[in-house]
Amino acid sequence: MSGAIEKLVWHYQHRSAEALAQHKAGVPVVGLTSNTVPWELIRAAGCFPVLIGPDLAVLDKATPFADRFVEPVFDSRIRAIFSDVLSGAWSFLQVLIIPRTSEPEHKLYLYLREIARQKLSHKLPGVYLYDLLHTRSPISRKYGIDRTKDLMRLLKGTGTMDWKSLSNAVKESNSARAALRRLQDLRRGITPRISGSDAHAITGALYFMDRVEYAKLVNEACHSAKSAKPLRGPRLLIKGIPLHHARLHYALEAHDAVVVAEDDWWGSRAVHANIAPARGAASLVRAIFENYYLRAPSPRVSPIAVADRWFQIEVRRGVDGVVFYLPPDDDVYGWDYPRQRDYLYAHGIPSLLIREDASRGLSGDTNAQLQGFMEQIRRSRNASRL
Amino acid sequence: MPRASEKQLESTRASLEHQKAWFAELRRNVFDGKKPYAIAQADMPLELFELLGVPVVSNQWWAAIVSAKRLSGYYFDSLNAAGYHEGLCRYCSLSLASSISGDPAKGPWGGLPKPALLAARLTCDCIQRIFETWAASFGAEFIALDSPGATHLPPRWWELSRDRWRELYEPHRLDLMAAQIRVLIRALEKVSRRKFSQARLRSLMERVNRQEEYFEEVRDLICSAAKTPVRMNEQVINVMNAQWHRGTEWAVSHARAFRNEVRHRVGRGIAAYPGEKLRLMWVGAGLWHDTDFYTAFEESLGAVFVWSMYLAFGPDGYIRYGLDDPLRALASRVVSMNEQLHNPPWANEWIVEQAKRHRIDGAVILVPEGSRPSATGTLFIKHALENAGVPALEIWADMVDSRRWDATSMRQRVATFIETRVQRS
Repeated sequence: MSGAIEKLVWHYQHRSAEALAQHKAGVPVVGLTSNTVPWELIRAAGCFPVLIGPDLAVLDKATPFADRFVEPVFDSRIRAIFSDVLSGAWSFLQVLIIPRTSEPEHKLYLYLREIARQKLSHKLPGVYLYDLLHTRSPISRKYGIDRTKDLMRLLKGTGTMDWKSLSNAVKESNSARAALRRLQDLRRGITPRISGSDAHAITGALYFMDRVEYAKLVNEACHSAKSAKPLRGPRLLIKGIPLHHARLHYALEAHDAVVVAEDDWWGSRAVHANIAPARGAASLVRAIFENYYLRAPSPRVSPIAVADRWFQIEVRRGVDGVVFYLPPDDDVYGWDYPRQRDYLYAHGIPSLLIREDASRGLSGDTNAQLQGFMEQIRRSRNASRL
Repeated sequence: MPRASEKQLESTRASLEHQKAWFAELRRNVFDGKKPYAIAQADMPLELFELLGVPVVSNQWWAAIVSAKRLSGYYFDSLNAAGYHEGLCRYCSLSLASSISGDPAKGPWGGLPKPALLAARLTCDCIQRIFETWAASFGAEFIALDSPGATHLPPRWWELSRDRWRELYEPHRLDLMAAQIRVLIRALEKVSRRKFSQARLRSLMERVNRQEEYFEEVRDLICSAAKTPVRMNEQVINVMNAQWHRGTEWAVSHARAFRNEVRHRVGRGIAAYPGEKLRLMWVGAGLWHDTDFYTAFEESLGAVFVWSMYLAFGPDGYIRYGLDDPLRALASRVVSMNEQLHNPPWANEWIVEQAKRHRIDGAVILVPEGSRPSATGTLFIKHALENAGVPALEIWADMVDSRRWDATSMRQRVATFIETRVQRS
C-alpha cells in the first residue's frame, strides 16, 4: 500500500480527526449527515465541512443513547449518528446540517430538536434542516433553490461569502472530483488496478478531509496504482443500501472478487461532474445547487427512470455480476430489487441477493452462496472466451 | 352488560349502511361501468376528488378491505415470492400486492380495475416506489406531491392550527404544496372534464369545518361523561366513513346525527360499557384484522378503550378558519397530515394533552412492524405519557398483516399490563 493510500485510509478510519484538528486551530466546523449538503457553500463561508460518520467503531458498539429514543426500525447509521451526537462527541460543531435526503434523516433532525427542547442533553450542536427535495419537477427545483439561499443566509452568519470565496471552494471540490474520476477509471475495464476495499476507503475519506490535501493524495494513490498488478477476479458492482463501511467488500474479496463499483454515495457515486464556473455569485450558487439536485444520489430521487439511470449505464459498461445488498434493516431499496434484478437478467448479467448484515460478518450459508456465485461467473467468463 | 360485538348506536348502523351503498355505487360505476376513478394515498387532498367528481379508492381503505377479507396473507406471500422482501412496508403496499402479485382477480369484487390516475404524497422513501410500480402495472399516470419538512415546531400546535395555520405550517411549505395541488387539479380536470371552482372549494372547506366541529362536540362529550358513551370501535366507524367523504352533505349530516345521538346518551347517563372502571387509549393506526381486541378487556377487567386518534384528530387536524384562499388552507391541511401524529414534539405533546382531557388510565401504543414511518415518534410518545403519569405499553404488530399476530398471547400481555401497571397506578 502506498503512503498516499495509507494516509487516505487513516482519515477514512479516523473520521473526526481532521475536524477536531481544524476546531483546535480555530476554524469553525460544520457537520453534515449526507452527500446532498453543498460542501462548497460551507467551505466558502470559511468553515470546515465534515460528514458525521458514523465512526467505524460504532459497528461493534452498543448505542445506548439511541436505544432510549430511536425505534429499532431506524437503520444502524442513523442510530449511530444519533448516539454519537448525544454523547457530546460533536458538541464543538458550529451547526449540524441535516438534509431531507431520506425520511430517517428528516426524523433524525426532529428527534435531535426534541432532545434539545426537552433539555435531555446539553451537549448538542444546533441542528438545521436543509430541505432539499429530490423529485424532478420545476416546483421542487425552485423550492430547492430557495432553500439553498436560506442555507447561505445561515452560513453567512459564520463567515463572509462572495463570488471569490465560492469560486475557490468550487475549485477545491472540483479538484477532488477530478482525482476521484481518475480513481474510478482505475477500477473500470477488464483489468482493474485497485481493490474495491481500498477504493472505497479512499473515496470515503473525501467526506472527512481538506479537499486540496485529499486531491493531492488521491492523485498520488492513482499514480502508484497505475503500475500495480492487474486484478483478475470476477468484477462486481454492489447495489443496495449505502455502505458506510467496507466489511462487505472484505467478504467479497475473500472470494477473490474485485468490487469495481458501488451504486451509492459512499462509493462510486461520490463522484460526479465538475461544477461549471459561473460569473456572479448568484449564478455560481445556482450551479452548485444544480450539481447536487441533479447528480447526487438519494433514496428520494423520483421518478424511477432517473433514479435507475446510473445503475443501468454502469452495469452495461462492463461488470461480471451484481451483488444486491439488502440487510435486515432495509425498508426502501428492496422495492427496487425485483425491477433491477429483472433488468440484469434481460442483459445476461448474473446477480446475487445478500440479506444479512455484513457489518456483523456473513454466515456460512451466505459464504457458500457467494462461492457458488463466483463459480457461476467464472464459468460464464470461460465460456465467453471459448 | 352489552355484548362486545353489538353496535350500540343508530348512527353506526347508518354509517355502515352508507358505506355499503357508496361501495355498491362505486362497484357499479367503476368496477362494472368502467367510469374513470383514482387510487390515492389516504393523506391526499381527497376534497379535490370529491369536488371534481372523480371517485377515489384510498390505498389504506382498500388495504383494510383486503385484510378484512382475510386475503392479506395470500397477497403478501405472493409479493415476497416475486422478490419483494418481508421487511418492506406492508400497510401501504397491500393494495399494490393485490394488483401485481398472485391472482389479482382473487381480490375483493374481482380486484381493482385500471384507474385513470394514481396520486400520493411522498412522505416516506418507499411511497414513490410503491406508487410508480403500481402505476406502471396499470399503465396509468402517477401524480406525486413531494413532502417538505417542518422546521417551525411549536409544541402546542393544536392551539394554532385553526386560526394561525398560515404561520404554523410555514409560508414556503404552503407555497410548494399549493403549487403541487394545482398540478393535481389539472390532472383531475382532465379525468373528469369538469372545471375546478375556488368558490366550490371554499364551500366544501366550510362544510368540513362544520363536520369537524360536530366531532369536536362528541370528543368533548366523551371527555366529560362519567363513562364513555361510545366505544372506540364505533367511534372509528362513524368518524372514518365521514372523513373519507369529508365535506359532503352526507358527511356533515352524519356527523350531526352522531353528535346528537352521543349527546342524548350522555344526557341519559348511558354508558357503552356500564362496568367501566379503567379508561384506555389506543395510540396508532387501527388493528384492522382484529378489531375485537378493543373490547376484549371490558368484561374481565372493566377496561374500556375510549380514545383513538380517529375521532380526536379531526377537529385539531382538519379545521381551518379564514378561508379567503381555500386552496392554501387545503394545502396547509395536506402538508401537515401525519406530522402531528408521528413527529416529535407534535405527536407526544398532543397525545399527552388528549390523555389528560380524556382521563386516561393507561395507553397501548401500536408500533407497526410493517410500516416504519408510523413506528417513528412512538418512544417519545411513550416517555411523555409515562412522565405525565399514564402507564404505557408498546405492542409490535402490523395493522393489516395478521400472519404474525397471536391474538391470545397479545390479549394476555395487555391484560397483564392492565393488572400490574394500570390498576396499581
